[in-house]
Amino acid sequence: MKKVLVFVFLALIAVSAVMAQMLPPGIPREKTLILPFLFAPLPAPGNWNLWAGWRAQNCGLHQFVTEPLWTINPNPEEGGIINALAAEPPIYNEDFTKLTIKLRKGIYWSDGVEFTADDVVFTIKTVKDTSGLDYHGPMQDVKDVYALDKYTVVVELKRPNSRFHAYFVERWGALRPMPKHIFEKVEDVVSFDFNPPVSLGPYVLKDYDPAGYWVLWEKRKDWQRTVTGQLFGEPVPEYVLFINYGTPEKNTMAMLRHELDVLQGSAEQLITLLRMSKTTRSYRKTWPYIDPRDISTRGPGFNHMVYPYNIKDVRWALALSIDIVKLAISTYDGMVAMTPGLPLVVNKNFYEWYFKRLEPWLEELTLDLGNGETFKPWDPKAPWRLLEWAKKMYKVDIDPNSEEEVRLTLGYGWWKYAPDAAEKLLKKHGFYRDENGKWHLPNGDLWKITILRGPDPTDMANIIIEGIAEQWKEFGIEVVFNVSSAASTLAGEGRFEVVNTAHGGFAGEPWGFHPDLYRCFNAFRSEFVKPIGELTLGSALRWSDPRMDKIIEELEKTDWNDYEKVIELGVEGLKLEIEEMVAIPVFNCPITIVFDEYYWTNFPSPENDYARCDNFTTWPQLKYLLHMVKPAK
Amino acid sequence: MNFIKGYLIPRLLQYFIVTFLGLSAIFFLPRLLPTDPVKQQLQQYQTFGVYIPPEQQEEMMRTLRQLYGLEGTLWEQYLDFWKRLLTGDFGPSFSRFPVSVSKVISQALPWTVGLLSLTTILSWIIAVIVGGIVGYYRKRWMEALDVVVMIIRPIPYYVMALICLILFAYVFPIFPLSGGIGIGQKLSFDLETILSIVKHGTLPALTLMIVGIAWQFQSMKLIVQIVKSEDHVWYAKTAGVTEKMIVRNHVIRNAMLPMITQLGLQFGGIFSGALITEMVFAYPGIGWILYDAIMKADYNLIMGVMCISTIAITTSILLLDLIYPLFDPRVRYR
Repeated sequence: MKKVLVFVFLALIAVSAVMAQMLPPGIPREKTLILPFLFAPLPAPGNWNLWAGWRAQNCGLHQFVTEPLWTINPNPEEGGIINALAAEPPIYNEDFTKLTIKLRKGIYWSDGVEFTADDVVFTIKTVKDTSGLDYHGPMQDVKDVYALDKYTVVVELKRPNSRFHAYFVERWGALRPMPKHIFEKVEDVVSFDFNPPVSLGPYVLKDYDPAGYWVLWEKRKDWQRTVTGQLFGEPVPEYVLFINYGTPEKNTMAMLRHELDVLQGSAEQLITLLRMSKTTRSYRKTWPYIDPRDISTRGPGFNHMVYPYNIKDVRWALALSIDIVKLAISTYDGMVAMTPGLPLVVNKNFYEWYFKRLEPWLEELTLDLGNGETFKPWDPKAPWRLLEWAKKMYKVDIDPNSEEEVRLTLGYGWWKYAPDAAEKLLKKHGFYRDENGKWHLPNGDLWKITILRGPDPTDMANIIIEGIAEQWKEFGIEVVFNVSSAASTLAGEGRFEVVNTAHGGFAGEPWGFHPDLYRCFNAFRSEFVKPIGELTLGSALRWSDPRMDKIIEELEKTDWNDYEKVIELGVEGLKLEIEEMVAIPVFNCPITIVFDEYYWTNFPSPENDYARCDNFTTWPQLKYLLHMVKPAK
Repeated sequence: MNFIKGYLIPRLLQYFIVTFLGLSAIFFLPRLLPTDPVKQQLQQYQTFGVYIPPEQQEEMMRTLRQLYGLEGTLWEQYLDFWKRLLTGDFGPSFSRFPVSVSKVISQALPWTVGLLSLTTILSWIIAVIVGGIVGYYRKRWMEALDVVVMIIRPIPYYVMALICLILFAYVFPIFPLSGGIGIGQKLSFDLETILSIVKHGTLPALTLMIVGIAWQFQSMKLIVQIVKSEDHVWYAKTAGVTEKMIVRNHVIRNAMLPMITQLGLQFGGIFSGALITEMVFAYPGIGWILYDAIMKADYNLIMGVMCISTIAITTSILLLDLIYPLFDPRVRYR
């Protein structure tokens, strides 16, 4: 029997060795970077026309095929905006009715045709004239667009707009130039599949899965004639494969089999992979491992048209009944960065632009608890408390004496855990507790919060809201969930009390490495507030304030490049949102990325901080980074 | 003539009425969802940080409604639905616009039908034979087999799939982790492609068959045990009929009837896909497509998949009804 078992075991090993190869013949693994395709499968495999609707573009489509006029610099140390296809920043006339775009010379499409002003003019005209193309709406503001010469485009606008160029700035999505020489021959641009796509980036399409789970790209022979080539040099991998293996367990197994070089997943996956493989690592070598610099925040938001969430003191009471350190530990093993503001991103730029200016104000912020009593809610030491906890549990390399290091790793600080103050705020408005400690509304009804959320239990926003619900229950409030796949529709129609928010769900996400907060505040315009039952096109929270309207109007009149004025107005807007506790942002979305260094090395780390880690998974800036990776062998 | 009047025509009428009502329900039910497909589409953009200024969203929504064919009254949309259905056109998929629903389905359905029909038939045959034997003859090794099946059956399918994956795709990396065909391979009828499809389909098929066999084995075994103790079997035994004849004509034949019903219904269900299998193995089938369509309120795609599924199920039942008299004389004589 033993002999049989040994034979079976050896046979399995032999068969495994023969069958393990997963790449097609002629594609060497050591020359191929394998990255996760996060939104697989492709909705329309074989259709690469990303001007005509959703194409799950992060399978290399926006990383390699397209190039924007301007883009967010992936380097967090440098920050700011890169002039990509544009040679210079946007040039406006005095009243913001004319935009001049100077283009970079020597850039070619992958089929050998030069990229010129005609491509940009054609794109804007086509999008403006074709209902059904993305950005068709925004392009209606264009009065005229023409090429001044081969490398200069002029856009005349129907009304002053200091941020018209923002439609062409790539953050995650932008209106990118289409190849005129291809699209001008197409009868129906909307249904055209653009297959194979002609690329402006450093790679071209090699092959794709008709089922939409993987896409293989090959380095262009003429990579020098791309923006990437001009700015950063030659990308290293010959091939890049974006692939989705399916469930999180399978992606974990794939990395353990060295069939995936980068993985973006849950905190559990990260810990498992770091423990199980000798070649894996994350952004930091020790706890908290993650890269904290995502540009979105998570937490509960309120429907400001529903009682009692229309009362500022109630919203503050709910914030003060959350123990942020306990929440960080219970939901993400503390591997998150806390943020008190919306959209106060935890990264170096926002730290300098916004947090340092807000800090004195936060220290002095005072709440009126009633009966002449006041309370200062700001707790700047929360990240240090989290650090103390972590030291008992993990190996930690954060210097507690470096304020900047602690704040940029674990967050700026948060609100004090102050259930007593929360109680006073509620009693001020007639709320009371019964003999079991349960809160009642002033009319005697039991206070029951219904939280609207989506069905995915692994969604970070859902994990966090579950943790918050537990804390509110401990505080004595009844909490139930309305779990619905229609959550976004219901939220837009205002059919909720409290909603968990993600990816700009409060309003809009900021640019990250540019201080302009216009796109975040704009959704709060009073004119967008709709009655419950009607779909709002602004913020689902239905909060508005004349003071915010004024800030938005001021921003519209401010040059995008006037950082001082933009930040000044941004700080005012943030103060207003915080003071009013419009929503309760709790954490920056943690980027739980694992790199496998079996085939490739030199991925970002705090010591080698050339990009945010998620630029290697889903962001279009990947094309600017592939000269940095190095073969491991 | 009596058979046609009394059996065939009523069943055909029933078939058309049920199919009509089912298809109508498929049109109306998604529209009762609180989810707005246009809003879902906009949400998808916003989720990934694509900024659409509120001022421009209205224009975009109007355009999407027009493109998706969601304009007009419900009645107009219903009439349009029947017109399109009768020509086999389900319109464009909303979430995969401008790809047509027919194309989405035609790409996914062969994978599902191929995998599920094979595993369903094989599981059924194995389960019927082994279950029949174990149900009739109780020997020691059969008891052991019964215990093994009793252990396997309560294991949730997802766990079973993961066990197989860990064993045969990770510990012994014999099979690929996902997909229906190898990277870089195109669908064709050459040996290499067929081997690649088999290689990719083996693990999903294995997991489906383990679960399918365990479930049907127990059904068959129990039915045989019940039939075995019925009066007509005892009577045959006492009348001196050989055991072979008893097993073939009295036990297996009677036990087969519910199993045939089960097989027929399973066959109809094939066209709805196997969601968990497809999700676990990233297998390019119809189950995931239906799930995704429901999540995104893609009415047209939901309708497309459900119409095919409904027609498949009602047709399976009709066929079952029609072939039943061949197996059961009592139906023939009724």
